[in-house]
Amino acid sequence: MKSSTPLKSACKQYEEDLVLHYYGENSEGERRNIELHLADCDPCRLFIEDLRKLLPRITQAEEMPQSFWDNYYRETVSKLTSYEEKKYWWRSFFTPTRTWLVPAFGSLAVAVLVVGLMFGNDKLKLSVEPQVERIPQEILADKNQLEFFESMEILEALSKLEAQDEPKTDVIKHDASRAGVIGQVA
Amino acid sequence: MAEQQELRDEELVALSQQGQRDCFDLLVRRYMEKAFHIAFNFTRDTETAKDLSQDAFLRAYANIKQFDGRSSFYTWFYRIVVNLCLDHARRHRRVAWESLDQMAEESGEQEQFADSTFAPDEHAIAGETKRRVDKTLETMPKKQRAAFLLRNHQGLSIADVAKVMKTTEGTVRVYLHRAVSALRQSLLEFV
Repeated sequence: MKSSTPLKSACKQYEEDLVLHYYGENSEGERRNIELHLADCDPCRLFIEDLRKLLPRITQAEEMPQSFWDNYYRETVSKLTSYEEKKYWWRSFFTPTRTWLVPAFGSLAVAVLVVGLMFGNDKLKLSVEPQVERIPQEILADKNQLEFFESMEILEALSKLEAQDEPKTDVIKHDASRAGVIGQVA
Repeated sequence: MAEQQELRDEELVALSQQGQRDCFDLLVRRYMEKAFHIAFNFTRDTETAKDLSQDAFLRAYANIKQFDGRSSFYTWFYRIVVNLCLDHARRHRRVAWESLDQMAEESGEQEQFADSTFAPDEHAIAGETKRRVDKTLETMPKKQRAAFLLRNHQGLSIADVAKVMKTTEGTVRVYLHRAVSALRQSLLEFV
């Protein structure tokens, strides 16, 4: 910037078009109009000349050394890898370095299956089979003993019935004697 | 790998979408300087610019499957960078002017050592001009600044700037004119 007055005033109505003209963003017709105007207008010509001096100067990017870009690239790739690892963490189980996991998982699966079948079968039997009354083996061994116990039960039942019947016959006798006394009084 | 380097952006994107990370790494290599410079023009800080531009690559990679190819990769990617920069600018409204001043002074000193034929007055003018430009860019509305930086610093066409900023070309023209007018105004005050 060698000039101490970097930008001159331009015609207001042309200012926007002059900026577009500088960037080469106006249409063919607009460009012709601007060029015709620039031929006759010193302030606008100075304005666009100053844009040509000023804008490329402020565009200058910070020059970074190659080592910066190498480091930048390495860091970015590393961040991308970390991102991938976080997102697809489960894939690490299937990497070739963990081949021992395959037989380990196989053995575990078989063990779980066996245990499951054992307990599962027991449960199935308990739920399906009806409960059977268990009779002592010594009784089942002799058929005559079983018949004896059964006849004993019948006898016990008969004696209980007789015991129940006895008080009823006493009450009937008592009622009959009372009826006889009343008849004599009358 | 050498063959992949010759692939167009769209082809690299398609391969990245199929899970080929090395193809995305090539896109990183292709756009890292531009991404960094956009972020640097916004933040004026090397470390922040590096973080923001690297974050833009991460976001682009995370969303690469959503890129439908309706726009070019670079307009899609620039949009991510610019949005991150605008978010960052919103969160950190104030820039330490002292650091800008210091940067301008250091830059002036470096130039002076490099070119001893350059007169001290001209150095002072150049240093002050740079400081004014930096201040003007910092204080102008963020979208106006983004439009100016994308057109002036990155060389995107107005049509592409409009795509990146999801606005019309007319709006970008207005932003651009206002930005240049603001710069002109600040430099006229300097005189």
